[in-house]
Amino acid sequence: MTVLVVGAGPAGLAAAHALARVGEPVTLVDKAQRLGGAPILSGYAKLIPSGEWARDAIGGMVRRVQEAALVRVATTTTVSAFEGEPGRFTARLSDGASVPCAAAILCTGFTHFDSINKPEWGFGTYADVVTTTQVEQMISSGQGVRCPSDGRKPERVAILLCVGSRDRQIGREWCSKVCCTVSANLAMEIREELPQCHVYIYYMDIRTFGLNEDLYYWRSQEEFKVKYIKARIAEVTSDGNRLVVKGEDTLVKRPITIPFDLVVHAVGMDPNVDNRALAEVFGVGLQHHGYLARGSAYAGMALSTRPGVFVAGAATGPETIDDSIAQGEAAAIAALGVVRTSAVQAA
Amino acid sequence: MHATSTRKQQYIGDPLSQQPALDRARLEEIFNDIQSDARYDHELNGCLNCGICTATCPAAHYYDFSPREIVQLLWTENLEGIYDAMQEKIWACAQCYTCAARCPFRNSPGSLIMIMREVAIKHGFQSAKDVLRPFSRVMLKLISTGNQLSPDMITADHFADWGPNISKVDAPLKLLRAAIPMPTLNTMKTAWEVNLKTSIELYTIWEMTGVLKQLETIDENLFDVISDIMDERREDYEDWCESQGDNETRRAAPPEETA
Repeated sequence: MTVLVVGAGPAGLAAAHALARVGEPVTLVDKAQRLGGAPILSGYAKLIPSGEWARDAIGGMVRRVQEAALVRVATTTTVSAFEGEPGRFTARLSDGASVPCAAAILCTGFTHFDSINKPEWGFGTYADVVTTTQVEQMISSGQGVRCPSDGRKPERVAILLCVGSRDRQIGREWCSKVCCTVSANLAMEIREELPQCHVYIYYMDIRTFGLNEDLYYWRSQEEFKVKYIKARIAEVTSDGNRLVVKGEDTLVKRPITIPFDLVVHAVGMDPNVDNRALAEVFGVGLQHHGYLARGSAYAGMALSTRPGVFVAGAATGPETIDDSIAQGEAAAIAALGVVRTSAVQAA
Repeated sequence: MHATSTRKQQYIGDPLSQQPALDRARLEEIFNDIQSDARYDHELNGCLNCGICTATCPAAHYYDFSPREIVQLLWTENLEGIYDAMQEKIWACAQCYTCAARCPFRNSPGSLIMIMREVAIKHGFQSAKDVLRPFSRVMLKLISTGNQLSPDMITADHFADWGPNISKVDAPLKLLRAAIPMPTLNTMKTAWEVNLKTSIELYTIWEMTGVLKQLETIDENLFDVISDIMDERREDYEDWCESQGDNETRRAAPPEETA
């Protein structure tokens, strides 16, 4: 009997591959037309911490799954109903197909924060206020980092951290985990492409956790001369010519008003906008911010609140690609446990 | 529920300073008054030190004033720093509350400063006296009548900052007021006609909420003047009540004051 994997991002691709490798059939569904999840669909450039291009790294994971005989892929497909018990579930897909499955793994990921919800930071008002995702696309497309308003090369870039993260005013009371490292990485990319460009990062805390400290935080300063200013920006306006950023340099204790050509929002990870529907269909719980709830941290990392249904990756909270892959594999072994147990019971 | 202090250290001072240490008990008392205010826990959740409050603060752009520093002093329970800030800085705030609208932790620095101001008044800080002195005419009018400003207060001497427009003060204000269609506005001593009974009730509110006690601390002379007015008007009211005879008519409104 097959294992149903929902979502074909890093976690789902890793889970599907892991199960196929040990001889288990997998049905991999994704609502998008392409496999790969956020790194592919949003056109990420070089990934942290490997430095590999997303299209190579995640593209390789996609090909591996596409070439696996045991993985049946269904794109542009969602799950509309899910019933049964561990070892004998039935999933009904949006294309009408009915899929008997022993277990399910939800790898449904996150939704990028929509910067329009912080209007004081100018996104949607000024063309040259963009998100980290847009800068990733400028780099990965080969176009290069340019001001959207007139296509000029920016001379001064401000990256604002914690946009849609760590902000009680808009109900985002979590740290999105990767944005500090991603922003340091993008800052280095910008400095590499445009050596004349000054890049400033505005932060509340720098969370380039673990091994990212020297590779990103230190290196971006030592080798790329990226400037870090401890300040949360009050507002982004325009003098009619350039963008104007207003903040307080909290370490030297003075209000600052500085012109910029390009302002980049380091957008956070919201719970997937579909999570309520997913929780309803699969009968699993949500944690208080709206991410898929984990059943237990210690009995097994992939447990949801429903036996036989497992969770992995950013569906459960802000997550890195590396850890999403690890969790996808953890979910695969948990699902394999259900498959084997139910096979023994049936015999 | 009141906040409880988490402070462990006995004294944070400058060990190299030759200045005599501030009286510790007094610092504790001042901080306790701030921290035990019912609003304190609601307006202070912690601090991420991001500076968005100071960045967005209009006063911070013109004065050596930072709402973030005020919040930090309170959160770290820096008693000397709090005491210092109350000497001048807390009076720079314009109470616009933009800080509260922006804080990612949903603190309200403006509200915390309001609490500190009230405590500064309670403890008779010289800064509070200095700040409130120019408002003594307004306080006199407000506490004795419930109106902040009345036509008879608008004199050239007191509104030099109006510039050339001050000449308009010489207009026949009494005549102009009489021309206002609403009879309740045909007054000079108050912005509108204030019922005597209303004023008397107001005095009870001032007394019970501690406003008069604050006034006594901040400006004893003004307190004496206002106390005399209050006594007089209370007597007026009693006289009027007696003139009405039985209890039934005592409930009716007394005559309006004449301008």
